[in-house]
Amino acid sequence: MSALGENFSRVDGPAKLRGWAQFTGDIEMPGMVYAKALRSGYAHARLLRVDASRAAKLPGVVAILTRDDLKGMNSHFGPVVKDQPVVAMDRVRYVGDIIAAVAAEEKDIAEEAVELIEVEYEALPAVFDPAAAMEPGAPILHGESAKSETRLDRDNFRYEKNSNVLSIYHAEQGDIVAGFKEADEIFEDTYSSQKIQHAHIEPHAALAYWEPSGKLVIYTSTQNPSSIRAQLAELFNLPQSKVRVIVPYVGGGYGGKVHPRLEPLTATLARKAHRPVQWVLSREEVFLTAHCHASVVKIKTGVKRDGTIVARKVEGFYDTGAYALTGPSTTKNGGEVGGGPDRIAHQDLTTYCVYTNTPPTGPYRGFGVPQVCWAYESQMDDIARRLGIDPVELRLKNLVEEGDRFVTGDTLVSVGISECLKRAAEAVGWQSKEEQQRRALQGKVRGKGLAVMIKTTMTPSNSSALVRLNADGSAVLLTSSVEIGQGTQTSLAQIVAEELGISPERVSVTFPDTDVTPFDQSTSSSRTIFTMGSAARQAAGQIRQQLLEIGAHALEANVEDLELVNGNLQVRGAPEKRRTISQLFQAHYGAAVGSMAGSYDNQTRGGVDPKTGKGKASAFFFLSACAVEVEVDSETGKVTIEKIVSAVDAGKAVNPRQCHMQNEGSMIMSLGSALFEEMVFDNGQPINATFLEYMPPSMEDHPRQFQSVIVETPHPEGPFGAKGVGEAALGPVEPAIGNAIANALNGLRIKDLPIRPDRIFKVVQSAKEESHEN
Amino acid sequence: MKIELRTVVNGREIETSVKANQTLLEWLRDDLRLRGSREGCGVGVCGSCTVLVDGRPVSSCLMLATNAEGKEIQTIEGLAKGDELDPVQQAFLDQQAFQCGYCTSGMIMATKALLSSNPTPSEEEVRDYLSGNICRCGTYQEVMAAIKTLAEKNLANR
Repeated sequence: MSALGENFSRVDGPAKLRGWAQFTGDIEMPGMVYAKALRSGYAHARLLRVDASRAAKLPGVVAILTRDDLKGMNSHFGPVVKDQPVVAMDRVRYVGDIIAAVAAEEKDIAEEAVELIEVEYEALPAVFDPAAAMEPGAPILHGESAKSETRLDRDNFRYEKNSNVLSIYHAEQGDIVAGFKEADEIFEDTYSSQKIQHAHIEPHAALAYWEPSGKLVIYTSTQNPSSIRAQLAELFNLPQSKVRVIVPYVGGGYGGKVHPRLEPLTATLARKAHRPVQWVLSREEVFLTAHCHASVVKIKTGVKRDGTIVARKVEGFYDTGAYALTGPSTTKNGGEVGGGPDRIAHQDLTTYCVYTNTPPTGPYRGFGVPQVCWAYESQMDDIARRLGIDPVELRLKNLVEEGDRFVTGDTLVSVGISECLKRAAEAVGWQSKEEQQRRALQGKVRGKGLAVMIKTTMTPSNSSALVRLNADGSAVLLTSSVEIGQGTQTSLAQIVAEELGISPERVSVTFPDTDVTPFDQSTSSSRTIFTMGSAARQAAGQIRQQLLEIGAHALEANVEDLELVNGNLQVRGAPEKRRTISQLFQAHYGAAVGSMAGSYDNQTRGGVDPKTGKGKASAFFFLSACAVEVEVDSETGKVTIEKIVSAVDAGKAVNPRQCHMQNEGSMIMSLGSALFEEMVFDNGQPINATFLEYMPPSMEDHPRQFQSVIVETPHPEGPFGAKGVGEAALGPVEPAIGNAIANALNGLRIKDLPIRPDRIFKVVQSAKEESHEN
Repeated sequence: MKIELRTVVNGREIETSVKANQTLLEWLRDDLRLRGSREGCGVGVCGSCTVLVDGRPVSSCLMLATNAEGKEIQTIEGLAKGDELDPVQQAFLDQQAFQCGYCTSGMIMATKALLSSNPTPSEEEVRDYLSGNICRCGTYQEVMAAIKTLAEKNLANR
């Protein structure tokens, strides 16, 4: 039986179902002490005094870290711009910014000690939304400090000096002015999206200690051990070999654990404490640690009467919060695909990454793309309605196809987007004429909506894999890919097993340990199956080749005539002529001992020229569609999702059930942000930073009819044709829901997320008043 | 301040003393080192710390350890008998009803409680009962499928 394309049972099942699986917060070390941070109550303030002398006297306090400890050492970190201090130096930039931290023998002692630290602030003017932050005279968060030579990306983005604009991405093609002149109709809209929590149920956690030799060891709940290692090595001026990052099971990430969050502070505190330090965030602190970029997207589209889109101009403003993290790349990602998955001759795409006095953001499932997708796919339905063209037809007319040149300069391959759209439309029961009939705005009304999405993946990027085959025909894959719930240990085992002709049950996959496992860029961007999967396949392929050569000799056959099946090497068509893997070891080493190793360093090549926005933006493209049927109570604005379907081009589904579960997770997650999830602030003060007030979707929100569809358009560079799927289903959900609601309400449109009942109520009321007045 | 506590955890009788302000979850994790129950929200709404107290589901992050006096506690660690998984664990395994696994212990304990009070719940009853167990990975479909197989078995055995 092939190991590939099968719903192989997850290798982490037994551990997780018995409660046995270890997460970072479950690990303890002898002598371990507990950390607690003192956080700013001000959104923007100068720190006049930080005095920890009273706290230091509290029995049980082991160490306190304040800015005084950072003098003379590297104090800042950040994956793109080193703008985030380990603890605040001269000022705080958001409510929740860290001022000091305590390590104590017991958790409640640490909490009590934090209360004893005295701080004097001088309040500064603060700014909370990107538009205001870009106004002349707005309070500047970082000034020159973030724009200096410490910018690791300084060649990759434009930025504005002495402003809150951290980066600007721009790409264009054709002649946008001429394009709009060609158009018969022009549509101009502004869409906005809100701040959302990743809401991984496992809070961020880390455990750090220093070996007496000066080596730093840290267990951490991260999606990105290589970034943590690199950042900590730079912070402490250590060679990377003296920083060891170990990642156990991670209880969900969705982007919120991709780059350093609490690791720099935990490691610095552990150094001062000379003890292992554990820091586990409370849920309230998670709200203050990471979230999704809120956005404002201005979109202008010119179309011909026949539905051909001729020109599109997009300006996107991404609120990156108080520190950069990956804001510039998120913003670039949104910009690259801001024009959508359509063939448009004339495009002008610009996105801005802007600092505000709100908590830091960073990657969030979808990485900057749902924000623009919400805009271009909502507007698409307005275009269809105005032109009297069926929304499915309008999209099919404009969608990119195999071999098209994308705005970034990429030649598109493995393009199943039209297929995704057709399959989603069919599954939701789309009836062209019927869907466009006007409905009486009374009581409960139903509507259907669709949307499509295109997204890039991190490019270039590196993944290395090491496979060891044992003499009994079992194998170990050494990889730094993180098991964050997506089932990567299982699908990678399937790939190695397929290549070696053994059962996936005989393949063991390691957890990341940077002392042992080879480099991986990141478990994000849905890149693991494509990039690490290829590396694992190539590494196993080297062993396969070795086995074939040994077997050819032993069986007196040609290598080309041999195959590896069920742990045997056999002559194709004559399976009685075969050797077990043990026998091949015997033939090679004289005894069934030893191991054979294969190793492969994979790089997806590409990248775009920052000056032109052109190049090879993506190793592969995510393509997906979503279709939704809703019921809207026009009297109250309450929305019920009757049916939701997501169709994703997976290239080749290595483990179909896991692909479906990724799609399901994306749908549920995005359903929350479409309808109700929203972080609320009052003058920078978080209002709903607990799960009491901010609730992710529960089983009661799970739509009655819920379907994931997988389309397979094999990618020539993916392992066995596979592409990533982790984020693919997410982007089109919000606009599909918005379009279904607009469809139910005769085109009444809500342009701000989430589509709360009060917003629906308001547009329905004003429409009713207008019709009375007429 | 320490308070005497006599209780039973996963069938084991325990006599000890606990801090007055210690939650049941902290006591289970820190003192008994039963780390299958996990904190997600700390305010009793996400369900990841769910344990059974005298058979009833409780958010152990909200209950004080001292309130376990004279009661029987069951945690995820107490379900399987050696190699044999509890039927709920087995059904979750069969349906692959988990992803990151962080909420899974609580989800399974809440399901245990549901099925002991209502062995053949309808889908509506399942949705209502488990609405306090949040899975951000979005594995609800598979959890509902797992419970459905258990309910069908219970119906057949009635």
